[in-house]
Amino acid sequence: MNDVFLPDIACLADVRDETPDTRTFQLLFRDSKKDFHFFPGQFLELSVFGYGEAPFCIASSPSRPEALETTVRHTGLLTDALHKLGEGDEVGIRGPFGNGFDMEAARGKDLLFVAGGIGLPPLRSLIWNVLDERSCFGNVTILYGARTPTDLVYKEELDDWAKRADVEFHVTVDTASPGWTGTVGVVPSLFNKVTFHPESTLAYVCGPPIMIRIVIQDLLARGFKEDSIISTLERMMQCGVGKCNHCAIGHRYVCRDGPVFNYGQIKELVE
Amino acid sequence: MALAIAKENVARWLEKLLQAGEVVAPVRSSCGDVLFSTITSAEQVVWDFPNSLHPPKELLLPQTDPIVRITRRGQHHEVEPIIDRTRRFLFNVRSCDAKGIAFLTRMQEMEPADASYLRRSNNLTVISLACTTPCQLGFCICTDSGPFLRDSYDAQLTDLGESYLVEVASPKGEAAVAEAQSLFRDATEGEVTQRQKLEDAARRHFGEETCHFASAMRRISTCRVPDALWEKMSDWCLECGGCSVVCPTCYCFSVKDLGCDGTWIRCRVRDSCQYSAFTLEASGHNPRAQRKDRMKRRFFHKVSAQYYKRDGAVGCVGCGRCIKVCLGTTHMPAVVAAIRKGKWHE
Repeated sequence: MNDVFLPDIACLADVRDETPDTRTFQLLFRDSKKDFHFFPGQFLELSVFGYGEAPFCIASSPSRPEALETTVRHTGLLTDALHKLGEGDEVGIRGPFGNGFDMEAARGKDLLFVAGGIGLPPLRSLIWNVLDERSCFGNVTILYGARTPTDLVYKEELDDWAKRADVEFHVTVDTASPGWTGTVGVVPSLFNKVTFHPESTLAYVCGPPIMIRIVIQDLLARGFKEDSIISTLERMMQCGVGKCNHCAIGHRYVCRDGPVFNYGQIKELVE
Repeated sequence: MALAIAKENVARWLEKLLQAGEVVAPVRSSCGDVLFSTITSAEQVVWDFPNSLHPPKELLLPQTDPIVRITRRGQHHEVEPIIDRTRRFLFNVRSCDAKGIAFLTRMQEMEPADASYLRRSNNLTVISLACTTPCQLGFCICTDSGPFLRDSYDAQLTDLGESYLVEVASPKGEAAVAEAQSLFRDATEGEVTQRQKLEDAARRHFGEETCHFASAMRRISTCRVPDALWEKMSDWCLECGGCSVVCPTCYCFSVKDLGCDGTWIRCRVRDSCQYSAFTLEASGHNPRAQRKDRMKRRFFHKVSAQYYKRDGAVGCVGCGRCIKVCLGTTHMPAVVAAIRKGKWHE
């Protein structure tokens, strides 16, 4: 029996600034033979030794296994310590945990991604997986918003998605800064720019709780079925294996039964 | 298998168990109260005692439980599990607490099983002492966890006056008896009958505390407890977390690194869902920021049909400890009664 709390050691192969308070860390297992398979939407428990561990979504795609990445905002003690680490420094990894997005259910469907701020990383894993198998899916639409242009993550990739002919991409910011020529407004304001076919589309929504609530209501009003709206929930997941109870909602555990739920399931959760 | 051991021989059995492993038993502290502690001699064990304030779950889920050793060597780190393989005998544990341990073990066995916990529980032999006199605040009769046990023990002792009846229920129980086999004899038919009479008598002598889980379960499971009632009850909760600390079935924990300068011990630290920081996220978002939501969570976990289906039992063993520690009276029987009646006692 494996010790569920024993982390693997990984080193930071690359550290990239995304915004003034957010960085992407590329992780490389010290044991090069380590078998690490994951699905988009799964998360890992990342240890900063001496500070403990915390859950972070895997932001890279399983279709690009050479670069395991997570994107982390500087928020508390552990993320402060993580942001002080640089290339070559070691961290611990447990996982992958959680259910992840159901890729099979998405095949052949139109896909709508709606992300707000730091909600893009978990969807980025799925987006790249979809784009790497582009012919298996229908229309792909990505709507992304952040507070300011500075707060947009993966800026180079956003340009890449904007240029692609096989992706419809729109971006907005709540508050423009000098030089911003794009849309200004909250994420749902982008809905009027695109055409949906709710009956054949799966919508993936991730962002701050208030944004998720507003977007879901908007999608329902536009004819999406509850089980076609999929989100990934954030909770303070300490153990990752459904034992510590931090992330329990009713008898469901976000770390084990989620973090990916459709809206029909989210509605059934008893806080 | 029912055996018997003369009372004058129990000390010799305990001496044998002390040679075979660590023995944890109820002892009287210097202040006069009873607590579970590792013993070094048989005389320390108390036999006629009100249950300890703290349940012996500490043996399996210590308050601070070292699970991983982390060592930094230069730029590199090494991690290794901290393995506890001590053979332990938990002696004279009360029925409710034996049930509590079985509850925790069932939870930890669920996939993915927790190897650190199971190593300890696999090496733990539970030798319980049936309660011939129910304790004043106990309501184990409502939770099927006493006064006598039908399961959840390795060996169960019953005080028959001159001797103890010893019911052995598992290979671990057999091994504990085998440490001093010659001290045991087969129980007589009369002794087995006497045990049954003692159980019947004990069942008739419960105090006033009762806990009607069924109707509360129906309301909690179907979200039919009005928010206003949770709010009213939670006004009385002082958020001390005492109920979780003394509860034999509470196991919420956090994970922390303790230590400094390149040597750390990653510990599982027991926590409580009644603390506001339990669900606080680094972003500042707290899904259970309100006390009423935390109280609702505690009782949903313990009493809902959803958890009953998963755990095969309510998350309460009727020990009555929460009644003793709760200054706000929001203990299990009071909350269950309020939910059943739709009204807080005020």
